[in-house]
Amino acid sequence: MDDSRGDIVYRMARPETLKITHLDSFTAVFHRASGITHLVTSPVPEILAALGEAGMRRVDLMARLSVDYLLGDADEAALDARLDELVAAGLVAVA
Amino acid sequence: MNDDTPELPNTTRRRALMLGAVGAAAVVSIRPALASTAASISTCEIPVPDSGRAGSYIAADGTVVPAGTRGAFAPPGRPFKGEEVKTALAGGQLPGTNYEQSRAYTNYIRRLQSGTSGFTCFASLQMPRG
Repeated sequence: MDDSRGDIVYRMARPETLKITHLDSFTAVFHRASGITHLVTSPVPEILAALGEAGMRRVDLMARLSVDYLLGDADEAALDARLDELVAAGLVAVA
Repeated sequence: MNDDTPELPNTTRRRALMLGAVGAAAVVSIRPALASTAASISTCEIPVPDSGRAGSYIAADGTVVPAGTRGAFAPPGRPFKGEEVKTALAGGQLPGTNYEQSRAYTNYIRRLQSGTSGFTCFASLQMPRG
């Protein structure tokens, strides 16, 4: 198993840079600096809430999500895909 | 230490969450569809207040109040250009106004909502250029 990403720490963009509004079937995240609105669906709001400003590694994030939710598909590749999306969107920073 | 913690049924407390397929997308990004060329910023206009409320006065905090309201300011009588508003928002003053008038008018502009005349011009002033 390739765990070269195991040490990366993911953290949410600072909360004051975002305006988050929960709509019926998705959540709108307005990123003030870029003026871009990201429409996100589950599990993205849950991931953002879990990461917070302190940030965490992928394994800790998976563990946290498993505690807070009934994870139907606790697949590392799927979590990586979600994290990659969030990093590409600028909503999550890596350290 | 007491280890006899009761087993609480946790199926009703936690809700289900799916991480989703690797190829699926959970983020759709919408870029603001406002053209912000230099020409359109300097020539777009913001009426104070919008034409539907022409003649109403502007209170110091930017709210629109009936004409003649004590302490409020008469409307400027002409719309402001985007470039003028941009200068005022950066700490300058709107042309033809004194300090209090300029502050009241810029507060009005800051309160503009989508659907009100001038909102698009105001929003385009705040877009990062390039």
